[in-house]
Amino acid sequence: MIFRKAGYASVMALTLSLSFNAFAVEEGDDAPAFSLPSIEQGQPDISMAALEGKTIFVDFWASWCAPCLKSLPLYNEMYRKYKDQGLEIIAINVDNPVEDGLDFLIDTPLDFLIPSDPDGETAELFQVIGMPTSYLVSPEGKVELVHMGFRTGDMEIIEEAIEKVLAAN
Amino acid sequence: MLAACTQVRPWERGLLAKEEMAWRTDALESALNDHIFFSKEASSGGSSAAGGGCGCN
Repeated sequence: MIFRKAGYASVMALTLSLSFNAFAVEEGDDAPAFSLPSIEQGQPDISMAALEGKTIFVDFWASWCAPCLKSLPLYNEMYRKYKDQGLEIIAINVDNPVEDGLDFLIDTPLDFLIPSDPDGETAELFQVIGMPTSYLVSPEGKVELVHMGFRTGDMEIIEEAIEKVLAAN
Repeated sequence: MLAACTQVRPWERGLLAKEEMAWRTDALESALNDHIFFSKEASSGGSSAAGGGCGCN
């Protein structure tokens, strides 16, 4: 009886986890369109549509996520390296309250676009499966790379994918 | 049965790292209790989630 209950619980847990990730954005999918306010007050909204024709690296980050904070200064270097070739970075901050994200940016200024998504609406749209997660989107709007987490050596994987997309366009 | 249960989404896991979410809010008392417990058990770790709960690293 106990085993049967455990079995039901396992099936239920599996069903829940599958339904949760069933619509996660994957490589080859069309990137979801979004428009979000900039984390900086007074700045224009940030949208995928406004960057049509660019190679876009979309990253989800938060101030409480240690690997995110490690990755952002490196993404800034990457942005400087590839922006003239057509790369744009949109680093979506999911902090709630937004001030937590702004506090980090005071010490670590970043050159690329940083929208704010405190209610997680765009994170929900992408069905982000962990923090950080990043998506490389080609100028045609296709997701070319989904990268979760951030570890030593990940920059090589990301830059290799970016160079491949930039070279193809 | 599951009406009151909800999965904490990855982008909401910062909530779990907030001070008010800790079982014991006094960091010094918590550290002391952990030290005594793990001395007795001859083990360490596992008393709390590591980091901000990113769920990836």
